[in-house]
Amino acid sequence: MELLQYSLRKIATGIPLVIGVTLISFLLMVYFGPDKTYELVGKNPTAEQIAEVRAELGYDQPVAVRYLDYLRELVTLDLGFSDSTGERVSAILARTIPISAAVALPGFILGNLFGVLLGLFAAFYRGVWPDKFIMAAAAIGMSISFLIVIIAFQILLSSSYGLNLFPVRGWDVHSIGDYVLYVTVPTLATVFVALGYNTRFYRSVIVEETTRDYVRTARAFGMPAGPLYYKLILKNCMIPIITRIMFSIPFVVISGSLLIESYFGIPGVGKVTYDAIVTGDQPILKAVVALTAVLLVAVQLLTDIMYRWVDPRVALK
Amino acid sequence: MTEPLLRVRDLAVEFDTEQGVVRAVDGVSFDIYPEETVGLVGESGCGKTVTGLSLLGLIPQPPGRIAGGSIEFGGRDLVQTSEDEMREIRGSDISMIFQEPMTALNPVFTIGTQMVDVLRLHKPLSAAQARREAIDMLGHVGIPAPARRIEEYPHQLSGGQRQRVMIAMALSCGPKLLVADEPTTALDVTTQAQVLEQINKLQEEFRMAVILVTHDLGVVAETCRRAMVMYCGKIVETAPIEELFARPRHPYTMGLLNSIPRIHEQRPERLPVIPGRVPDLLHLPPGCRFAARCERVLDRCRAEQPELSGRDSAAACFNPEPA
Repeated sequence: MELLQYSLRKIATGIPLVIGVTLISFLLMVYFGPDKTYELVGKNPTAEQIAEVRAELGYDQPVAVRYLDYLRELVTLDLGFSDSTGERVSAILARTIPISAAVALPGFILGNLFGVLLGLFAAFYRGVWPDKFIMAAAAIGMSISFLIVIIAFQILLSSSYGLNLFPVRGWDVHSIGDYVLYVTVPTLATVFVALGYNTRFYRSVIVEETTRDYVRTARAFGMPAGPLYYKLILKNCMIPIITRIMFSIPFVVISGSLLIESYFGIPGVGKVTYDAIVTGDQPILKAVVALTAVLLVAVQLLTDIMYRWVDPRVALK
Repeated sequence: MTEPLLRVRDLAVEFDTEQGVVRAVDGVSFDIYPEETVGLVGESGCGKTVTGLSLLGLIPQPPGRIAGGSIEFGGRDLVQTSEDEMREIRGSDISMIFQEPMTALNPVFTIGTQMVDVLRLHKPLSAAQARREAIDMLGHVGIPAPARRIEEYPHQLSGGQRQRVMIAMALSCGPKLLVADEPTTALDVTTQAQVLEQINKLQEEFRMAVILVTHDLGVVAETCRRAMVMYCGKIVETAPIEELFARPRHPYTMGLLNSIPRIHEQRPERLPVIPGRVPDLLHLPPGCRFAARCERVLDRCRAEQPELSGRDSAAACFNPEPA
């Protein structure tokens, strides 16, 4: 009951956020975004032709009306048609989001999982060589550009200069085997890049936690290092860990996959968004922007509920 | 006389700091007999807590280390004992409770989980058996409705109750020695008295020895049979409690006792204080560490370090107050 009330209240306060995000993005898009008209009218158009296309695109309406239309589209979940292909926006998203999720999730999960494990390990050995080694490796991992990492993995694993084990580009997935084949190299690249940042973050959280009084108490009662770290300390670290993981979700799903998808030629939502930005395909952009905002609100709600779940002191009010 | 339960000899604990090596405990020797309560008294930073921690091998390492001496307990030297064996001893043979009842318990686990964990570390019990014992133990330390309380989290309990939970955890495996580090400092006076009374009662019941580490002479007077006064990493005086309060011999002990406000006496103009300040552990004088603040100081005091001459009633002083 408490949970339901809280969720409703949280969703209600999320509405202004969604409105704010969509309004700002919409204004930026209208005033600074590319104009689709001239792409569609062809060479040497007459004034009537231009006016006709603009009317078709809805550009002739006042901005306020266009924004309200946008909101109505969101509420009715009728997101319109792509200006470029004429395909339904909802159909495009339904096709591309699962692909993006399938590409991004393994790297996201493994990057955080290994980050926490390495962080625990380094925190346990803090100040001595395993810690120093991991931290140095993390610093190196953080210093290499994502692009270099992607290209290096592609050359090493997917080209005839290297092992040539995996396809370089594309997404031709019909079975688990195909999936593994196409997802491995992007995943390795993502994990490689994320691991340094994650490990450093998680290590500092865990080291901080090891100085707490309850850790000394547990040791004074003979608690071995294993359960001490994996149970007592880890559960106390869950709030910063959950925060970091949850709040990176909207970016991983929508924008984080942009580089990966364009370099690996994967037809995911990142690629679609990128193309929409370049060509000024406003219906798609509007949908993606709104989706990101809604996802952020949902993630916040879910994060708060998870806090409650790991820390009994958190009250949902 | 019976054999001592714990025999500490020349214990020295050092810490590496930015400015150099600090010897927080320097050549401390004492005996603890079974079933007695001994106070370890001194002001902040005198090494009393570090002494307590070193008995369980809990000196944070690095930057700390036991630099010398021995801690004999149950036929072995705890300084030489491996970490794995120390873990067996902690919580089962020697227990320790801490000052901060607010933070010393794990905030995200229930009282029950924490107690069951400790019990099952040291005793071959099923989860259900351990739970029953934990509830039993909570009732023992005076927690009302223990079967319900055990489901609660530390933040749902009052400070006094949390300290009682700590005590219940500490005693659950039947230790022979309890090191209580300022167990009542963070509590209000009424709760303090109740918790101390509880410790005293349980001590008789469980037949264990207690080392009460505190800066509060009142607490020592109420609960201990014997007390050791620490100053600057050394024990300066040890005596049975009546003797210590009636006839203190070391000038530092005298100073401490004089600076306690008394209700029955006429109020002096100002509360007497010990002049000067505690020397920096990095720059200790060659002689007695109290010499610079001492009213009874001799030339010898500035050159040589006085040693504690006996174990049961002695003062480390060249010019003690005559007995």
